[in-house]
Amino acid sequence: MPPKKNKKKREEGPTVTIDFEFKKLVEKVVDGTLVNYCYQCGACVGDCPSARYVEGFNPREIMLKVLYGFGEELVGPASPAWQCTNCYNCYERCPQNVKPVEIIIAVKNLMAQRGIYPAKAQVGDLVNTVLETGRTAPVTAMTTKLREELGLAPLEAIDTAELKKILE
Amino acid sequence: MANENQKKFAFFPGCLIPVRYPQMEAAIRKTLPKLGVDVVDLAGFTCCPDPIYFKSYDKTAWLAVAARNLAVAEEAGLNVFTICSGCTATLSETYQQLNTNKKLKDEINMRLARVGKEYKGTATIRHVATLIRDEVGIEAVAASVVRPLEGLKVAIHYGCHLLKPSHVMRVDDPDDPHILDDLVAELGATPVRHEEWILCCGKACKHEEAPPAMMYDLLKSVAAVEADVLGVVCPSCFNEFDLGQVRLARQYDDETLKTPAVYYFQLLGLAQGLTLEEVGLHRHKVRAPALEKYSAAAV
Ligand code: SF4
Ligand code: SF4
Repeated sequence: MPPKKNKKKREEGPTVTIDFEFKKLVEKVVDGTLVNYCYQCGACVGDCPSARYVEGFNPREIMLKVLYGFGEELVGPASPAWQCTNCYNCYERCPQNVKPVEIIIAVKNLMAQRGIYPAKAQVGDLVNTVLETGRTAPVTAMTTKLREELGLAPLEAIDTAELKKILE
Repeated sequence: MANENQKKFAFFPGCLIPVRYPQMEAAIRKTLPKLGVDVVDLAGFTCCPDPIYFKSYDKTAWLAVAARNLAVAEEAGLNVFTICSGCTATLSETYQQLNTNKKLKDEINMRLARVGKEYKGTATIRHVATLIRDEVGIEAVAASVVRPLEGLKVAIHYGCHLLKPSHVMRVDDPDDPHILDDLVAELGATPVRHEEWILCCGKACKHEEAPPAMMYDLLKSVAAVEADVLGVVCPSCFNEFDLGQVRLARQYDDETLKTPAVYYFQLLGLAQGLTLEEVGLHRHKVRAPALEKYSAAAV
């Protein structure tokens, strides 16, 4: 008897249209190309604190969305990227050296380019403060008082001319 | 203080510690010379820059600012030590990225050339904890102690950025670290691990959903080990455990949340004979009554 042909018809599922353009934008950011090595194993999810505390947050799914090119879901106003704690557990666990957290940061860079970061995260404010003062936190009267009490020299203003030039 | 037997390192203070938590800087400056470290101040450092928001804005710009800072140390011919986990993360990643990626290094150096600087990749970066372990020798800590902190139970929170990514940070095993436990033991105190020791402090996403519940679990786990203090090395963790703990205790109406956070080098200062005031412990929101008897003890 001839062997039975295993010719089961593939079930029809939803069609996904892959858009490579978004991935190309991510790839332009430092380490952005690493997303290509994601094989969706999910090792990045187990120790992810945001996955534990925020319903629907999942670094593996974020990688999949980058690979599929679902850019609008990632860089829109409801982007999940800001929920990431930046703990680097996923980076530590990923067997493919995808550095998932770096891909999430790359997505944030794309948002910054378009000016869509949440006001509450104060990304733009912080960068401006660094450009203007050389520090993330402004020196206050309290700073001076505490330093004096501890026998520390007062903090001098930082010359930011060089910073401005290298960031032009 | 400096003498020929002391090892010189460029001190990278960062900005959060000198501005908001100068008690940590004071503790560093007052304790390291007794371990044989010559703390050298260099002119020209700026914010590292911050590895969360600045990096979220533009990774390449972030690397450029960090490379400029490292170039300042290179010009002085010194290796760098850091006292904040965030600065350590930024500078270590920059070193690793630029020293393994020629194209990126060239791109960054084109920016630095505008101000007459060049990143060569010759200055190494060490967090002060590994500086002590690897450059000074951890025994120097016990040798500097004049007032052992015997009987003091110290819960330890490593925080994320000291350890991870481990191949970049090269500080310790990220799944079972012991460097801070060892440093605490050198003081005569007893280190303890709490159940949620690996959890993040939530500072980097503090306006988002996760932090309150995450921090509550973390601080409950700290409270459960009934330690006298919570030892940290990161100013971001500190903020969440000091002022953050006061707020959280109110929000969750849980008065067990009261383990005082202390920066490791404040404990070292006490053990070396300094008072609570000299290391700024009296300024913390969550006071540490257990430390008073050491501060008062004769040296
Ligand atoms: S990013 Fe890494 S750990 Fe996460 S699913 Fe992809 S391959 Fe697995
Ligand atoms: S860095 Fe972000 S995505 Fe990665 S494990 Fe931590 S919270 Fe999750």
